[in-house]
Amino acid sequence: MLEVVEPGPLATLQDRGRPGLARLGVPPSGACDPWGLAVANALSAAPPEGVAVEVTLGGAEFLVIEACTVALAGADLGAARDDGGSLAAGAVHLLPAGARIRFAGSATGMRAYLGLAGGIVAPRVLGSAATCVRYGLGGIDGRQLRAGDRLTPARRGDLGASHRTWPARIAPHPGLDGGPIRFVPGPDLRHLPATTTDVLVASTWTVGNSSDRMGLRLEGIALPPGREILSHPVVPGAIQLPADGRPLILLVDGPTIGGYPVAGVVPRWQLPRLGQLRPGEALTLAPQDAAEARAAWQEQQRLFAVAAEAISADALWDRLADGVGG
Amino acid sequence: MRDTAESTPQVRIDRMGDDALLVTLDDALDLDANRRAHRIAAVVGTSRRSVPGLGVATPGHASVLVPFDPARCDEDALRSVLEAIVAAEATPAPPIEGTLHEITVRYGGEDGADLAEVAARTGLSEAEVVRIHAGVEYHVLVLGFVPGFPYLGIVPALLDLPRRATPRVRVPAGSVAIAGRQTGIYPFDTPGGWHLIGRTEAPLWNAARTPPALLAPGDRVRFVPG
Repeated sequence: MLEVVEPGPLATLQDRGRPGLARLGVPPSGACDPWGLAVANALSAAPPEGVAVEVTLGGAEFLVIEACTVALAGADLGAARDDGGSLAAGAVHLLPAGARIRFAGSATGMRAYLGLAGGIVAPRVLGSAATCVRYGLGGIDGRQLRAGDRLTPARRGDLGASHRTWPARIAPHPGLDGGPIRFVPGPDLRHLPATTTDVLVASTWTVGNSSDRMGLRLEGIALPPGREILSHPVVPGAIQLPADGRPLILLVDGPTIGGYPVAGVVPRWQLPRLGQLRPGEALTLAPQDAAEARAAWQEQQRLFAVAAEAISADALWDRLADGVGG
Repeated sequence: MRDTAESTPQVRIDRMGDDALLVTLDDALDLDANRRAHRIAAVVGTSRRSVPGLGVATPGHASVLVPFDPARCDEDALRSVLEAIVAAEATPAPPIEGTLHEITVRYGGEDGADLAEVAARTGLSEAEVVRIHAGVEYHVLVLGFVPGFPYLGIVPALLDLPRRATPRVRVPAGSVAIAGRQTGIYPFDTPGGWHLIGRTEAPLWNAARTPPALLAPGDRVRFVPG
């Protein structure tokens, strides 16, 4: 069990979110970096729908109340024990009562995921424990974590996950490979000047400081103002062109309907990377064919499945070897 | 609303990323297209049993977003399914006689910070703006943007104004606002670009309630000055 000592800029409980409620105006929420969450869950022996803490940038601190295993995934945000031992991302760490976990911050990445054995216990609201602070949904009373909050593992006292590590042969975060952010063109290019895609692709953009879990504001040259169109449903990853001409990439807490043209949509396999972009970071955009994007997603899923199987097989083998029993 | 001289627009099916299609029935606000969008979304919902990998459709004003899992559902095959559904739902949909809600609104003053400006820009008095806004029965076209936000139409042409040039960073919850031929109610403090003309205490959203949204598409709303 952990206690939040200091939440840092934003710490929330997240799971895979609540998709399928857009007809009520409810955003999917969930982990901004779904890959990071999935790794935390695999390492924690949690189910895919398991709950982890999404830690943002540096500053968060947690106190171990009761010995437990802590899985770290997503961005490496400089997590370390108060006694100086570093806590690597992509691994599980066995921590005794009284130990402290501090996220000092790092030069790259935006969000880390902290998982406990079997996932963190949290009530579900509208089918999910994912926190959406703006609308008061999920998490602990719909709010972000604060000092004094206690986080209980679903498998309290089970320290078996301490044997789990992400296999070295598979990249811990395939999304952090650099290169342009891809987007599948459309659906509103007919409402935009013909040069829009060229300008999006030729420019270098900077993630604006007002970016949050609702969306990434891109700063660079201003495009011609997006003219209002009849609103239609939008999705995380949609690149909207609002009236101020500054592109906005919607994220998981974003609006479900938008009235500005969408020039393209970042495909699923790149969403983990979007979730790791931090304010001030530079990026470029490049179009991608839908078939290529789907192939990249399938490859990402295949690699994850291989790694997840290796993790549970290794853990089982270790436990048998320890005589703990399978 | 549609100019009667205009021809029925071509239905479009566009990609929304690698795992969703957007069916667009109309580029203009139109009650019939809105009803058809809801019917199509419902039929897509019942098709989930027979089409593996089909996600939960989201209706829009005159569009339907159809998510799918490309690993289990071929895009071209899905396009054919959607074209068939659209063709079968081509006839004007019968009006839905949904629940009528009377929503009490305090117009103007601190509650409707833009009422004076709306009056000035439309050449009407504040009282006339209120009378026109409250004098019409609206249809809930769709819920979206934020949880429980109802897009309501159709606002009389006399009040037709484009959105504010600079959106507000924070619109207070309960605000009743207009933009174009639509009116809406903000269930939460959110950024917003519509003109604020009043405020209501109506409980638009409660996640602990079933259903959590006060209004549903097809419902009717009448605003009552109070």
